[in-house]
Amino acid sequence: MGIVAGTVSYLRFVSADLPDGFEVRFCDALNNHAFHEIDAHSDVELQRGWVRFDDAFEANFEPPTLVDSGGHMLFRLRIDTLRIPNTTLKAWTTREDRERCVKLNRDKLSKKERDQLKLEVKKKLRLRSLPKMQLVEVDWNVSTGEVRLAATSKAVAGQFIDAFEKTFEIKLDPVGLLKVLWLRGLKDDEIDALALLEPERFHLIRR
Amino acid sequence: MQDSRDRFAFLGREFLTWLWFASETNNGFIAVPELGNVRVEFGQRLTLESAGNVREGSTVSADAPSQTEEARTALRVGKKVARARLLLDLGERHFEVGLDAETLTFAGVKLPTLMAGDDAMKTEERLRLLDEIENIVDSLYVTFVNLRRDEAAWEPVREALRTWVQEVAA
Repeated sequence: MGIVAGTVSYLRFVSADLPDGFEVRFCDALNNHAFHEIDAHSDVELQRGWVRFDDAFEANFEPPTLVDSGGHMLFRLRIDTLRIPNTTLKAWTTREDRERCVKLNRDKLSKKERDQLKLEVKKKLRLRSLPKMQLVEVDWNVSTGEVRLAATSKAVAGQFIDAFEKTFEIKLDPVGLLKVLWLRGLKDDEIDALALLEPERFHLIRR
Repeated sequence: MQDSRDRFAFLGREFLTWLWFASETNNGFIAVPELGNVRVEFGQRLTLESAGNVREGSTVSADAPSQTEEARTALRVGKKVARARLLLDLGERHFEVGLDAETLTFAGVKLPTLMAGDDAMKTEERLRLLDEIENIVDSLYVTFVNLRRDEAAWEPVREALRTWVQEVAA
């Protein structure tokens, strides 16, 4: 399911013009913003970066293969999250708290001890958990500047625009009701004139 | 990400409502400059909404939702099409797309069966078909906008649309 197979849902964008010799520059940019796995020993909860279209674990881009024969750059945005749900953390911390009290022969732990215990439990649980992986396909037509993002969620779109503009240092605009007219050849003054239109009523007009 | 979304949302809803009207009054065909006749049908799911701050919606799920009493009644009380699943035929090729009137987001796009051989050729053909469905939808929208912004051309369409709304709902 996605841009190259099955049914697909997507958002459309258009980029500013691509600079001459963009292949080398963009490969460097993609490699500089490539995906890196979350270190479970750290506190990092979200990591994002680019991976190749055909391999979610490969983040090495090379200029000769960046653009396919049809003039498209295909790659994916990988977003991993490693978060321990509150309910899980609370349940495991309560259990450890109980065991610690028995071991120390005490009724309860101090607040400071409980906070420390919670951090230890969270670290242990992170080491036992796998990150949740999200892979979002991107298709960038280098001759028209049109970009397809195989996602419809606002949160993913926000992550994508931010990552795209930081990586390529190129402005990206969503293709909506006005931008599409510009893409299809309407002139700026023709589009500006639409501001004079008022919504129509098609129902129950009696004279 | 707005593209003046709120101000021009009405244009998207009027476009999908006009598409319903135009397809019904021309045996399903709409003439599009540079493309020819595009056959347009409404499939499976149709959402109509009123304008304004408090939006009332009606969603109809049926094989031919635009033919249902519920959808037609929604038109009569002033609702316009906010989301629709469009079945589009151009020549021998059949496409399907769920379209949101305010954002023009493409949802659940179905493309014609691929003819090409290896993976690279399939990808290339698939991307060409995505270009084609975008071209069809965009061209229909541009056709509507060009009509809508030309008062002399739009005036008879507006009257016909109003008559159609009252007739389909009667």
